[in-house]
Amino acid sequence: MAESSNSDANSRKRRKIDPDSQTRWRSEAEQRIYSSKLMDALHHVRRPGSGGHDAVRDAADRVLAASARGRTRWSRAILTNRLSLRLAQINRKHKKAAKPSAGKSCSRKPAKKLPPVESKVKVLSRLVPGCRKVSLPNLLEETTDYIAALEMQVKAMTFLTGLLNAGAAAPA
Amino acid sequence: MEPNVEAVQPQFRSGISGTKPGGMGFVFDDIHGLIPGPPETDGTSFTALLELPPPQAVELLVKEDFPAKSMPPPIFPSNIALIDRASMFSVFASADNPPESTNILSVSSSMKTDSVKQEPLESEHHRNSSSPAVSNQSLKSIKRKEREKKVKESSKKSKKLEANEASDGSGEQLPYVHVRARRGQATDSHSLAERARREKINARMKLLQDLVPGCNKSLQISGTAMVLDEIINHVQALQRQVEFLSMRLAAVNPRIDFNLDALLAVESESSIDNSYLGMFPPSIWPEGQLNSSRQQQPWLLDGLHPGRVDDTSNFITQENSLLSYDSPPNSASLHSSQLKMEL
Repeated sequence: MAESSNSDANSRKRRKIDPDSQTRWRSEAEQRIYSSKLMDALHHVRRPGSGGHDAVRDAADRVLAASARGRTRWSRAILTNRLSLRLAQINRKHKKAAKPSAGKSCSRKPAKKLPPVESKVKVLSRLVPGCRKVSLPNLLEETTDYIAALEMQVKAMTFLTGLLNAGAAAPA
Repeated sequence: MEPNVEAVQPQFRSGISGTKPGGMGFVFDDIHGLIPGPPETDGTSFTALLELPPPQAVELLVKEDFPAKSMPPPIFPSNIALIDRASMFSVFASADNPPESTNILSVSSSMKTDSVKQEPLESEHHRNSSSPAVSNQSLKSIKRKEREKKVKESSKKSKKLEANEASDGSGEQLPYVHVRARRGQATDSHSLAERARREKINARMKLLQDLVPGCNKSLQISGTAMVLDEIINHVQALQRQVEFLSMRLAAVNPRIDFNLDALLAVESESSIDNSYLGMFPPSIWPEGQLNSSRQQQPWLLDGLHPGRVDDTSNFITQENSLLSYDSPPNSASLHSSQLKMEL
């Protein structure tokens, strides 16, 4: 069903996310795929010294983005921005240490548009990865898909944590 | 002035022959009928009126009333401004005259093919805003059509006008009802586009409201700000949960080696959904059950089986065997995974 909607959307020069993102992310098959892929990824992240929870979280996000199959903007942003994001974060940390935080707030307060809706839309666009310069209707679509995907991610990770906890505790 | 009048005359002549395109020429004729020019023009205008089919003549006469009331300055563009005003008045006033003329117009323009062909032309003129009189003509005709014909047909035509909304209009009939209500705006295409855009946004907000658990209380789209607040909170909460869970997973990670292969095998068989509920303390036993039995069962139920002691011992023995079996391949895989990580 996703493919058919995609083909229609391609003819209109606009890639539409399939409208029932809820069913897509809530299907059992999807959860199974995600969990198994996450296990695989965790295999590779097993080096204990490197990053710890950040590495795990990035791996989880990457796997989530991979299971989106590149149809959504946020998934593509996650997959492509791994390294560049890290560099940007490092740069930002250096800059933050140099600049006082007051300077930043002063530069942002005299905004042209003060409608609270607009500022909230900006906050939301910052939360969803890769959606900063996206128009409002597209942003809302991406948010819908992102929320559904995050919920699935939380479920899967909870399950895996319990599994591993229990499994590890059993022989002990 | 006179050369202007003469220049327009051939246009006037050509305007008579056509039906709808003549409408544009007739407007100009009005102006030049008003101009106190040479009597030739007046004579020709009157005979031209007689030649016209009656409905359009009536339309002309109706239009003549409005410009006649106001001052007839000889300059060309200001007359157009007058006609602008006249058209605006005729649109806003729901008086007797406009409806009559609309009826007449609709009758005359009931030949859809001509009118449809004219509409895109007129809409282009309208968009380029080259000749406001023409655009107002088109506006009027479009508005009248929207009045006369009901939602579907008008939605189709306005769809043709707005290329952007073509994809969205088919699914939603509602926006065009609103379009008809909001007709009294200066630039119609802009308001139409805006209305369709708002409808898109509102539809997506509704979807989001269904998804986010706190948003269903108010029936309407209560203040986009509140809904957005809820959405932001939900996304932030989910992200925090993911971080927290990843921390826990990272804590468990060093101990993965023992169970990984066994658990992978388990997962591929069992239904994961059912296991979400009874996870932490009682999950030890269900795992044992699954490892031994290799069946698809809800994990909660497995924990309640009475004869679980034997199974746990089985589980442990299995585990030990797995441990011993797995350690060499695990160490090898560790090395390979480290290599991959560095890459």
